[in-house]
Amino acid sequence: MRRLRGWFLRLSGLFYKERSDREFAQEMESHLQMHIDDNLRSGMTPEEARRHALIKLGGVAQAEQSYRDRRGIPALETFAQDLRFALRMLLKNPGFTFVAVLILALGIGANTAMFSVVQAVLLKPMAYSEPDRIVTLATFWKATAHQSQVSGPDYHDWHDQSDAFESMASYNHWDTSVIAQTNSNATAEYAHVAPVAAEFFNVFGMSPAVGREFSAEELKPGGAGASIVTYTFAARHFGEAGEALGKTLLVAGKSMAIVGVMPLGFRFPDKTDVWITEDAFEPGIASRSAHNYKVVGRLRTGVTLEQAQAQMKAIGARIEQKYPDSNSGLSVAVSRLRDQMVGDYRLTLYVMLAAVGVVLLIACANLANMLLAKAVGRAREIAIRAAVGASRVRIVRQLITESAVLALLAGALGVAMAFWGSRALVALAPADVPRLAEASIDGRVLLFALGVSLVASLLFGLAPALQVMRTDLNTALKQSVQRTAGGGSLADRMRQALVVAEIALSVILVAGAGLLIKSFVALQNVSLGFQTERVLVAEASVPASDLESARRATRFYRDLLPRVRAIPGVLDAGAIGAPLGDTRSDGGYYIDHLPATFNVSAPNAVFSVVAPDTFTTAGIPLLAGRDFNEGDTYDAPFVAVINEALARQAFPNQDPIGHSIFCGLDSMNAMKIVGIVGNTRQYGPSREPSPEIYMPYEQHPQPATDLSILVRTSGQPGTISPAVREKIHELSSEVPIKFTTMETLASQNVAAPRFRTLLLGIFAGLAVGLALVGVYGVMSYIVGQRSNEIGLRMALGASQGDVLRLVLRQTLLLAGLGIGIGLAGAAGVTQLLTSMLFGVRATDPMTYAAVVAVLALAALAASYIPARRAMRVDPMVALRYE
Amino acid sequence: MSSKADVWQGTLALMVLKTLETLGPLHGYGIARRIEQTSGDLLSVNYGTLYPALLKLEQEGYIDSEWGQSDNNRKAKYYRLTRAGRKQLAKEAQEWGQATAILARFLSPREEES
Repeated sequence: MRRLRGWFLRLSGLFYKERSDREFAQEMESHLQMHIDDNLRSGMTPEEARRHALIKLGGVAQAEQSYRDRRGIPALETFAQDLRFALRMLLKNPGFTFVAVLILALGIGANTAMFSVVQAVLLKPMAYSEPDRIVTLATFWKATAHQSQVSGPDYHDWHDQSDAFESMASYNHWDTSVIAQTNSNATAEYAHVAPVAAEFFNVFGMSPAVGREFSAEELKPGGAGASIVTYTFAARHFGEAGEALGKTLLVAGKSMAIVGVMPLGFRFPDKTDVWITEDAFEPGIASRSAHNYKVVGRLRTGVTLEQAQAQMKAIGARIEQKYPDSNSGLSVAVSRLRDQMVGDYRLTLYVMLAAVGVVLLIACANLANMLLAKAVGRAREIAIRAAVGASRVRIVRQLITESAVLALLAGALGVAMAFWGSRALVALAPADVPRLAEASIDGRVLLFALGVSLVASLLFGLAPALQVMRTDLNTALKQSVQRTAGGGSLADRMRQALVVAEIALSVILVAGAGLLIKSFVALQNVSLGFQTERVLVAEASVPASDLESARRATRFYRDLLPRVRAIPGVLDAGAIGAPLGDTRSDGGYYIDHLPATFNVSAPNAVFSVVAPDTFTTAGIPLLAGRDFNEGDTYDAPFVAVINEALARQAFPNQDPIGHSIFCGLDSMNAMKIVGIVGNTRQYGPSREPSPEIYMPYEQHPQPATDLSILVRTSGQPGTISPAVREKIHELSSEVPIKFTTMETLASQNVAAPRFRTLLLGIFAGLAVGLALVGVYGVMSYIVGQRSNEIGLRMALGASQGDVLRLVLRQTLLLAGLGIGIGLAGAAGVTQLLTSMLFGVRATDPMTYAAVVAVLALAALAASYIPARRAMRVDPMVALRYE
Repeated sequence: MSSKADVWQGTLALMVLKTLETLGPLHGYGIARRIEQTSGDLLSVNYGTLYPALLKLEQEGYIDSEWGQSDNNRKAKYYRLTRAGRKQLAKEAQEWGQATAILARFLSPREEES
């Protein structure tokens, strides 16, 4: 207690220094006077009395110092002193300060921005109650270790037989037509609709903000069904949440009452607008081989992921035994929701964070270099400070304070840059990175920036501090300012080592970027099998709930397509179930006759429904047979067109045309193969084309209610969209449309590789730039150091060429060492990138050769100015120094 | 003069408190002289130690200070014992007595013989 009071007074003592200094001086003065008075009284002469008193008083300065130390908190005062001095030093060299702060701010800013993204996507807990208990459950294919959706009956068994979960729910989601029945005239719009099972909202620990959850009655298969909407959907259509209750939604043609509104912000899965009762459309799909659902669950309190996984594995084994036809080779995979959502982006983001960390390391090496040069220049100042009594620790502390001030200034600027950088990252990133929009500079990000700044200050402040610890006071004082620049050879070695490290780190980043760039170019050059230029894509969804309304929907498209073709500027038009480069459905197929029992080992193909002329519109070549035509209607004999991959897989050395093919898209009718078309890459450029069966849309009305209309145009495809919209509205006001272009879709397919290539490219560029500055600095310094020697050589007859070679040899020595070390490092580190590479191996010799060339040239370029300076050394001037 | 022992750290505070208790309010010079005299001039008070010690006692609230006039009309800072200081003095004096008694027993000749 007393001690605390003492500390408090000492703390406040910091603020009344002058007054208390004066008081102490007075006290000492009175002390001295009293002593003199006493001495006089004891009979000394005035001079003697004064002399004795002063001797007894001893070192007034020392007494003052220990009094001051006791009065305040010396460490804090020293710190304040160091801080003031550091600021003065930095202000005295504005050029140095500006460059140093800028270099470091770039590093810190890039790191902070990257961290803000990592924090939002990977670290920040999801905004559900106890999000770690939320898991996803998926069908696990033991042979390929691949996960897929879940069949309805499997889900029901999982749900009923497990007790590791507090709740479990199957769900699905897709974009479809929704019409909100407001008082004013209603228009159809695309909305993200998710049919969900009973416990869906419990899994997330959520309940409606207004209204209620689905009742048992509404959830019953074949029941009336009901809908729950998001807060924003309710506000947009009905003004406020409460107004939405009791209103009706027309979801894909089926009318459903709104019974609840979820709290603002809840939109799982994806960006859902409307949740509906699960069995409203497809009452209980009973097949165990139709994997149509996704499943989420909430672990019971105290149950670990591993326990849940073990239980589900046992249940999966039981089901496998009971239903070998459909379930042999299948098990269950349980994963945390976050891991499932983040997926491949985890590796990408961590690699980028590491890369940006390396950029910061290089920036630190640069700063250490600059500070070392300055510390050598300051050797005399420091020696003088030491001579008048500053301890080494005190001087080192001073230097570290200077580094810290520099780092914090840079940190502040870096955070400002990160505000902008974070926005830029979000804009550049692929749209499907989960929770990316939440990236912001919040408290944790600021803390990270502060931490990074302080760690950086230690990293770059250490070298000059070490240098000071080693400086020999006597030699430093004795030497003239000129010669002190020669400093210790330790500092020289340290600086060269730092440059070598910078080059080595740059090599690693440039090699990584090179590999990604090469992959990206390879991806871009892959032939997708269809043309992307000047093709407008209009996604349309005609509400339909049964076969009758589905057939009406196909008639809508049959009426629409000729009208679209008639629009001026339109060359061709077709329609397809899922835009090219994407798929909606796939499954097993059978040739010529159906087997007695269906099993999972049937060969797989992508199923697509298309309109006549689609192949021409998309530029997919017809290799044999014919395209579909207006005659391939629902009542005509069923036909199909296969792609080359399927022809090769199912009909080796045979003509497929005329054979029958079966698949379970919607009916098991035999379809006669009438044509063969070229392959397309259905899963994007990085995967080989799969076998595919094309079917005329009119013969498969139920999967054909939602089609993407493809329009090949003579001009910019976007200019046609108003006309297409008009044609659609002429036919129906209940059909929502979404426009895009084939080029946009294709570029979205490579959004992730583009993102990481661009990012790593930027980081590598920064790294090389910083390394250039480092090489330049060190070579300038070396040339300055050796100007006497160079002058001497020139006086003795060395040509300018000889001098140039001297400098370049030194540069190449440093660069060669750095490149060598960097290559060794890169060979190891780039293995991390393996899963991101396409068409190039992590050890690609071409890439490495290019990296070596780039860095060697960069190093030579950086030493050009120092070399020129060396060549211009005037022998007379240089020699005069001796 | 050099043969005189410096006051040990820790005991100085106790001596200051005792001096103030005996003589009442006193200035730094007076305290120093008194301690030296009481020790029979065996101790020499270092002012670089005395004044910080006074400041510490003041910060801890055991003594108070105010400016006043000395006997021969000099302006001086007078230190005065507070109530807490009196308590502290009693406590420390007792502890010190105990400590010296224990040490004395260790160093007594009888201990040596056994």
